[in-house]
Amino acid sequence: MRHVIDPDKCTACTICLTVCPVTAATRKFRGPKMTGPALTRLRKLVSDDDPMLDYCSNCKNCDMACPSGVPISTLNMLAKNEYYKKHPRKSKADDMLAHSEKMGKLITSLPLGATFANLGAAIGKSIGMLGSMGIAEKQELPKYASESFLSKFKKIKQTHGKRKVVFFSGCFINYNQPNVGVDLVKVYQHNGIEVATDERFVCCGSPMVSGGYIDDARKNAEKNVKLLKQWVDKGYDIITACTSCGLMLKQEYQELFDFAQMSDYAAHMYDSIEYLERLYEMGELKTDFKALNKKYIYHAPCHLKVQSIGRPTMEILPLVPSVNIEEADAGCCGISGSYGYKADKYEVAMKVGSKLFNRIKKSGAEKVVCECGTCRMQIKHGTGVEAIHPLTVLRKAYGL
Amino acid sequence: MKKTDMIIVGCGLSGLFAACVAASRGKKVQILSYGAGTLAIAGGIVDLLGYGDDGKFCANPLVGIDKIAAQHPYQKVGGSAVVKRAITEFLEIAKSCGYPYLGTPEENVWVPTAIGNFKPSCLVPKSMDAKALLASKKILVVGFDTMKDFYAHMVVKNFTKRLGESRTISEHIVALNFEYGKDLRDINAMDVARWLETPEGQASFISQVKDKVDADTAIVLPPVLGLEPNYEVYDKLHQALGCSIVEVSSIPPAVTGLRLDKMLRAYAKKHSVQIIEKARVVGAEIVDGRCEAVITEGFDRKRKFYADQFIIATGGVYGGGLKTFIGQMKEPILNIDIEVPRVQTQWSHKKLFDNQKQIFAQYGVSVDETLAPLSAGKKVASNVKVIGRSLSGYDFCYEKSGNGVALTTAYKAVAAFCEED
Repeated sequence: MRHVIDPDKCTACTICLTVCPVTAATRKFRGPKMTGPALTRLRKLVSDDDPMLDYCSNCKNCDMACPSGVPISTLNMLAKNEYYKKHPRKSKADDMLAHSEKMGKLITSLPLGATFANLGAAIGKSIGMLGSMGIAEKQELPKYASESFLSKFKKIKQTHGKRKVVFFSGCFINYNQPNVGVDLVKVYQHNGIEVATDERFVCCGSPMVSGGYIDDARKNAEKNVKLLKQWVDKGYDIITACTSCGLMLKQEYQELFDFAQMSDYAAHMYDSIEYLERLYEMGELKTDFKALNKKYIYHAPCHLKVQSIGRPTMEILPLVPSVNIEEADAGCCGISGSYGYKADKYEVAMKVGSKLFNRIKKSGAEKVVCECGTCRMQIKHGTGVEAIHPLTVLRKAYGL
Repeated sequence: MKKTDMIIVGCGLSGLFAACVAASRGKKVQILSYGAGTLAIAGGIVDLLGYGDDGKFCANPLVGIDKIAAQHPYQKVGGSAVVKRAITEFLEIAKSCGYPYLGTPEENVWVPTAIGNFKPSCLVPKSMDAKALLASKKILVVGFDTMKDFYAHMVVKNFTKRLGESRTISEHIVALNFEYGKDLRDINAMDVARWLETPEGQASFISQVKDKVDADTAIVLPPVLGLEPNYEVYDKLHQALGCSIVEVSSIPPAVTGLRLDKMLRAYAKKHSVQIIEKARVVGAEIVDGRCEAVITEGFDRKRKFYADQFIIATGGVYGGGLKTFIGQMKEPILNIDIEVPRVQTQWSHKKLFDNQKQIFAQYGVSVDETLAPLSAGKKVASNVKVIGRSLSGYDFCYEKSGNGVALTTAYKAVAAFCEED
């Protein structure tokens, strides 16, 4: 079913303006109400010429706040896509960041590719090449892993389980932090869940949408949708451990596109910790945890909050003995996937995240726990405190 | 199956306050919220009862409340005694959060509006002390050059009309010296509030205003004294200038409403209330006269949320708590048909703002004296309460009673549940 996007549902109440982190950080952005529903009405009459669009980070806090159910950020993304059909891109970074999967594929397929790529990024930074490409020089680019998750996955021996899931790893886990994927397989196996992967999956398209390449995202969506449906038909549930992939596959496809069977699998989609929470509620989660003696602080990614699943991590991690975990509850980290990597957005992103950074630094926590890969990068960058996926904590607590 | 003590649907003033009261009594509370709640665009002041059924001003809201018609939510829940208890609890919570409110339920005060009119209200933040304004000999209306939606000259004109010649009323415009340009958005009250949170903003404001005021002056300005629920900005300016400072009631985006929203959320979270955002409740599972669960629907699948007790605080037509169709009105979660005339022209008086309560404004869910909802006169479910704007029998706009009804019914619902335990 396609979710009809109706800008006229907006009553112009301005609640979205009060929650938009970008609007609070810069006046270069007009704000969600104006850029989204108000100008969408106008765009139906006249061609668009509003460069402020570019400042929407697609963090979705406006969607979360809207009492009328207007997908404000999606209206912005659709308009951005149209805008860049007629206007030049600000820099080469747009293309590179939107299509990060291409780079990941290339680098991890070459012997020593990751070593040279990471070295290359370091050299590129030192000679100012990244800056000229439109990448923020002060930001730390995600490092590539020497071996992809899908390659590591093949080497893991699994035992059959009564529950079967297919894991959509997404680009970041596959190419940059494959160990999070391994953590998932170990933790799930321990709970009698058999994990499958599918090499035919492609990038969910989230960075393409926020970068203004919706037409490319659509092609990827068509591929993923068919595959996901096939897995569901075979009795598998679908798991994501990246909150932006999860949001894209189950929600944004339905908002952006209108091809057949687009949401037939959505009822079987789970965030990796949400799935464990469900097991716990049914009394089926193993709780043979070792005491960890750790103090953590949890950051809920915006793209998790908007999924209406609450905070599964805050339900599950407190089950581990002597884990002290509190929720930061200090808003968006600012990175919004690729947004904070762009040279002209870096300062905005850092300003957005400043409240969270201060909260984390003051908390005295040893580590930050967070489901989103780029949030984790940004938090490390903004605070110096290491940030890990809750699955990594659970694997350790199980002693796996 | 996970089950909590109490589920509250809705995150406006009534839902949040109910959560605070219940959690402080030891209940495990979960809020399901779709949208942020309208506090962010409302004034953050508490009107109790400005005008009675006869349309006359009530100097003492509690006296007015005991005279109001039987179908009014105030009368349903037990009149002034219950209102007083609810307000006392609200004032205690505000005080414990470091953002105390002024006022008592026994007295209405005249609060200045953004255009220089006055409206009756009851509880206000310290930064909106309208009594200090009316007691001062000189009033200085301070605007900000380039800030939209607040026009100091209009306020001066209306003040002069209403307060007469006995006072000096003048205008002063503070220069913000923000960057301007066609690639930068307009400046609203929140931007100015952020500026006044900085030491530079405070110093600039003080230096621009200092020689215009003395101890007999009251400064009137838009709600810009910081975004957080505390009086740090107010206290600093007050100390430096040595005169009264009064914020007018809010205009969207409403800074004073946001402060109240933040205050209640912080209190709720401190008492372990869990808030689930973007959870659109579409129905309830009622078995043998008891609600077992409410059902949410999103992009993936329906989910059931189980609890012992439920409070529906979803608001009226505007907030999405009531749905209207031609000649029909419904409460969608409990699926209650609300009795309305088939002929839609009978829903309203001809004039929108007439000298009587508007008909459609009084439509809503009927309840018994414990706020349990009724459908065609029969109880829908014994463990459900309906509170706030979803209720029938009052016109908050005409009466100036909106937040008072929200707080009172929220308090009553929790108190009734606690007694039933």
